[in-house]
Amino acid sequence: MRIINLVMTKKSAISLEFDNILPELLFDKSVNEIRETVIYRGNKEEHLSQYFDVKIDGTCVDADNCTIVIEGDLSRVKRIGFAMTCGKIIADSDVDFHVGACMSGGQIIVNGDAESYAGREMTGGLLEIMGSVKEFCGSSYAGEWRGMSGGQIIVHKNAGKQLADYMMGGNIHIKGDCDILAGVHMSGGIIQIDGNVTQWLGGQMKKGMIILNGKIDKMLPGFVLEESVYHPFINGKYFIGKYKLYSGDKTVNGRGKIWIKE
Amino acid sequence: MIEKPITDYDEEVRNCSCSYCGNNCDDITYLLKDKKIVGVRHACRIGASKIINDQDQRLLSPLIRNEEGILEETTWDIALDMTAQLLYKSDRPVFYGWGETSVEAIKKGIKIAEKTGAVMDNQSTICHGSSIQAFQNVGHPVMTLGEVKNRADVIVYVGTNPMDDHPRHLSRYTTFPEGFFRKNGRKDRTIITIDPKYTNTAKVSDEWIQFNMNEDYLLFDALRMLLKGESLDDDEIAGVPISQLENLIKIMKNAEYGALFFGLGVSQTLGKQKNVDMLIQLVEDLNRYSKWSMLPMRGFFNVSGFNIALTSETGYPYGVDFSRGYPRFMVGETTTIDLLNRREPDFFMAISADPGVQFPGYTIKHLVDIPTIQIDTHWGPYTELSDIVLPSTRVGVETEGTAYRMDSIPLFMKKVIDKPENCHSDEWILTQLYERIEILKQEGDD
Repeated sequence: MRIINLVMTKKSAISLEFDNILPELLFDKSVNEIRETVIYRGNKEEHLSQYFDVKIDGTCVDADNCTIVIEGDLSRVKRIGFAMTCGKIIADSDVDFHVGACMSGGQIIVNGDAESYAGREMTGGLLEIMGSVKEFCGSSYAGEWRGMSGGQIIVHKNAGKQLADYMMGGNIHIKGDCDILAGVHMSGGIIQIDGNVTQWLGGQMKKGMIILNGKIDKMLPGFVLEESVYHPFINGKYFIGKYKLYSGDKTVNGRGKIWIKE
Repeated sequence: MIEKPITDYDEEVRNCSCSYCGNNCDDITYLLKDKKIVGVRHACRIGASKIINDQDQRLLSPLIRNEEGILEETTWDIALDMTAQLLYKSDRPVFYGWGETSVEAIKKGIKIAEKTGAVMDNQSTICHGSSIQAFQNVGHPVMTLGEVKNRADVIVYVGTNPMDDHPRHLSRYTTFPEGFFRKNGRKDRTIITIDPKYTNTAKVSDEWIQFNMNEDYLLFDALRMLLKGESLDDDEIAGVPISQLENLIKIMKNAEYGALFFGLGVSQTLGKQKNVDMLIQLVEDLNRYSKWSMLPMRGFFNVSGFNIALTSETGYPYGVDFSRGYPRFMVGETTTIDLLNRREPDFFMAISADPGVQFPGYTIKHLVDIPTIQIDTHWGPYTELSDIVLPSTRVGVETEGTAYRMDSIPLFMKKVIDKPENCHSDEWILTQLYERIEILKQEGDD
């Protein structure tokens, strides 16, 4: 097992882009090589050592056994774990845009909040955010109609607007509240929301499932109440309580399912 | 008070394009005396005012802010050299505006943005950007204003008030003119306004449908359900009685040619892009029964041209970030307001736009702290923030150029009068800037 420890020494007002800070790219590099890794700041290319101290503990033969721990104020560090395929990243504070976006494997833990675009177009792996996420978590990028298609996102607090836009697969669990337009255009996958949802849940969804354990003011007209069930068995586990099952969105002849706890 | 017609002129220049709104009215006649504009015919009250009062608050020579904070006159060479130096040194430059200049100038701007790794953004970021996102996600059935004039028998305005914002839209294209298939003009057309407010457009409409603010998405979803023949359990949706919605759907289904126009009342209210997304799909559904198309009501006369030019060059319509050498676009990340809100830019250049008027206060605060450049024709709030002012000329009046009407039709805009002596066109200024940046890059590489 190898642990690469990056400790921030200087904060930048302009966001740093961390595309190159991935276990698969750094697991076999020396300290000096890691220090020389190119990061992006605005229209300039800079070296990691200008902003971070690098320490290495242990060795490993493949990236699966490599963990990168990033410490300091990361609220201006973007693209942590972007397109990551294996290994583990632990970000020890709030993080900026695109954390875990396009990742296909491995694990990312964020010990704070995440800005928008977390886990966008993710196809595999685990993204766990201990705080809240902003907009477009697990969604598709602009112009794309295929959002998250695999993997798992766990958010321990709240989620912003347009969660899981165009989601096709995978699993999202929001332990807090969720803003408007969650699961819009969804065609697969499962979203579980433990808190309340503002409105417009699952608009134009075709397939997939949303489980809401909190409250929602009003369903969209395109959803039809199918039945009420006590302790339904959903996706391999029992949910305790009485749940209403809606299907829709009928405007797109959708067969999506929304379970809402009464 | 009725103003007397202008008779004291010695030249008429006909078939000019107006450089005010997205209607780009191209039937304007300028009245000149001694090569100065003294009057205008056919323009709306806003367009005419803009043309006739052209010399008011005009910027007439390059300015640089001195150490006492006062803008003082300088030469073009000094102003351009200093601008190029500041831009060359910057790490996160942003170019904003472009809605009131020509496509030729915009293309020069894109070249500079690519060269310097800048963010290229325009007024769409605060108006119809969300609509364009929806177009790129789900497509949209397009039309030209000529088609509307000649064919449309049902016109629907949603969340827009063209009577005040685009005053000739109704008289020239949609409501009052005689068309090839609409010989009786207004009598052959049904006009419906869907808006929370009783606007001047609602007043001239056959029907006004008032709905609750910020419930656009819900309303359009319900309309789609009714169009499919599904019944709704509620008595009203978004504050509108179901019977009124059913009647609206009946009119829309029975239209021979329907045209839907929407404004910021849809694209900038709660739900933004998804409101437009749902509205597009309502129009798509309507095409199973009749012919329907839609258009956003674009504001500035070439705001659409910027989106078209940038999309053709980069694939993205606005908020394009060249910092990594290739174009990227992320709403909230590479769009101007958000960048300023995060206090990232270290150089800001506004071209034919006034962020001092258009931007929220907290973003203006950052502009005070960084080098700011203005390329524009008139003095405005942004001039008070600017470190360097480069006075330009008006497209369609003092400079010729191309602009795209709101329905994406390109129109050539004539030059009518000579420019002020010490002003230059946006295209000339940007060409000069590009050449200076190239020299600085070469020197830097050496």
